[in-house]
Amino acid sequence: MKSYTPTNLPAWEAKGLLRHTPPESVPITFRLSSLGARMGAQSLDIFITYGGALLIIMALATLGGLSWEGLTAFYALLSFFIRIPYYALSELVWNGRTLGKRIAGIRVISLDGRRLTPHQIVARNLMKEVEVFLPIATLFGAANLSLWPGLILATWMIATLLVPIINRLNQRIGDMVAGTVVVETPRPQLLPDLSARAATRGYEFRAEHLDIYGRFELQTLETILRNPPTSPEARKRVSEVAQTIRRRIRYDEDLPPAREWDFLLEFYRQQREYLESRNLFGDERQNKFHTAETNKG
Amino acid sequence: MTASVSAPATPNPAAPASSVDQIRSARFRAEREAGWQRLDALIGKAESNGTRALGYDEALELASLYRQAMNALSVARAISMDKALLTYLDALCARAYLVVYAPQESLRGLFIRLITHGIPQAARRSGAPLLIGFVALLLGMLLGAVLYAQDHSWFYTFVPGGLADGRTPDASTQYLRSTLFDGGQESGDGLGSFATFLFSHNTQVAILTFALGVFVTMPSFVLTFYNGLVLGAFWKMFAEKGLAYELTGWLSIHGVTEMAAICIACAGGAQLGLAVLLPGDETRRAALQRRGRDAVKLMILAGLMLVCAAILEGFFRQTVQSTEARLAIGWGIGAAWIAWLTLSGHEPGHESARETGTGGARA
Repeated sequence: MKSYTPTNLPAWEAKGLLRHTPPESVPITFRLSSLGARMGAQSLDIFITYGGALLIIMALATLGGLSWEGLTAFYALLSFFIRIPYYALSELVWNGRTLGKRIAGIRVISLDGRRLTPHQIVARNLMKEVEVFLPIATLFGAANLSLWPGLILATWMIATLLVPIINRLNQRIGDMVAGTVVVETPRPQLLPDLSARAATRGYEFRAEHLDIYGRFELQTLETILRNPPTSPEARKRVSEVAQTIRRRIRYDEDLPPAREWDFLLEFYRQQREYLESRNLFGDERQNKFHTAETNKG
Repeated sequence: MTASVSAPATPNPAAPASSVDQIRSARFRAEREAGWQRLDALIGKAESNGTRALGYDEALELASLYRQAMNALSVARAISMDKALLTYLDALCARAYLVVYAPQESLRGLFIRLITHGIPQAARRSGAPLLIGFVALLLGMLLGAVLYAQDHSWFYTFVPGGLADGRTPDASTQYLRSTLFDGGQESGDGLGSFATFLFSHNTQVAILTFALGVFVTMPSFVLTFYNGLVLGAFWKMFAEKGLAYELTGWLSIHGVTEMAAICIACAGGAQLGLAVLLPGDETRRAALQRRGRDAVKLMILAGLMLVCAAILEGFFRQTVQSTEARLAIGWGIGAAWIAWLTLSGHEPGHESARETGTGGARA
């Protein structure tokens, strides 16, 4: 399937990412949900559903009116509807999110890039019965198992648990049957453009200065510039970065400590402009080793 | 969504005055930023209040802005090295995608479509798995009856103590008859019996039967077969006391539906198992996904049938006391299931396409 192909983002970014191709065929990136978040969401869901059912039962019991048998029967009925129907309906209504998933900030998406179909939702939640509820139920009843059935059950449970850990997309068996994957809910955050902030600070870099670095170094510098130093140690690190860059690009002017930040901002702006225009001409410079690569090829 | 993809982004009037000095990618961003923020606001509204909260104009705007943002993402990947911008656009587009491509069917429409088309078509497509399911049960019944006839102690091996409820080979004919007709010691009130039944034994068996099918069909087959064993031994026990006709009536009123539900759940499991066992030319994952469509519908069918069986058992079994009426109700409802599954949801002209198509209706 197309959407499985690993992202062609640089290797240092590709881990835990899913390149997803919607019908507009511009790939977008989702971050795969961590297993911890999924486990947390599942526990929350169990807690919410069974806790809610218990609360209702307790309310009914204090109000009176129902006999003990009536209460247990009612509880059994409730627990039937809070298993598969709860998960399927909530994922259907909230587009791939149960209450627990909403709190954990994760959601289910379809791997084929289309919308999540009801079939997929029902399928992945039906399989939840063997993958989640059955192991839990057997754990509670495990005390009166003899050795061999116990061992077989244990291996089977461990195997089921290992499936999402082993495969690349962290899919449960239910996810595989349904063709779905659990990702983090994207949270867009627009940061100011650094290049707009740094106009005319009086540094002029020539092509030989800007030929050294590539995209990776530029974006690392961007990360540094987005966190202005507050402590003396951080200021010292920034100063180290500025002096290293100055030495590396053989920029011959003196760089007093007070102007290092301005120097970095201005260097970022001009380096970006330079790299972007080189990139438009087909000269893709992934990192500072680009000269070695062009010499080789 | 009819908005044109190439609609140009309106230049941002609030762009800084120094835009002449800005580098190309910064200008690109300044021109489109207002549109992105508007998209963000629309998404926020749709996410918190549902897509229905958007007006007609807003929905149109959302579709158009979504495509513009996608377009901008594609261009930005080519021209910009601003990591913050790329990350933002990526996340914005992903978030907008999740709103634009949300399930749009209403729950009611879904349910009706499932009843009228989805389930009957799935059942008609799954001949072989259904055969596996029913054969498992029948073989089990046969073996159960034969073994019981040879040696009564088999009964204790097959039937768990809780299920037998005093109805053992040592019980008197009188007692056995009373369990069939008086309601015996079973809890009289309809709801209690209904609910305990729902949650007890058979729902669990059905779900297990289905879900375990993925482990190459065997567990499903074994579980259904075992159900047949219990039933067979039970039937033979009553038959030897001369109560075969009465027991058949007692079982039929809900059992026709209930046992069929378990067989159908087994068929659903068999669909999954067959996909793993005999994937044909596809990969196993693809086969699982394709066959999973029908399997899930079979399971929903089994669930519906179990609920019906529970209502029958809870409310009618002890109130309808004549064996003839029990037989008539039980098999009548069985015939109704068959009629529904064979007659409903025919779409002339589509049938042949569906047979070969990958997955059929996505209802």
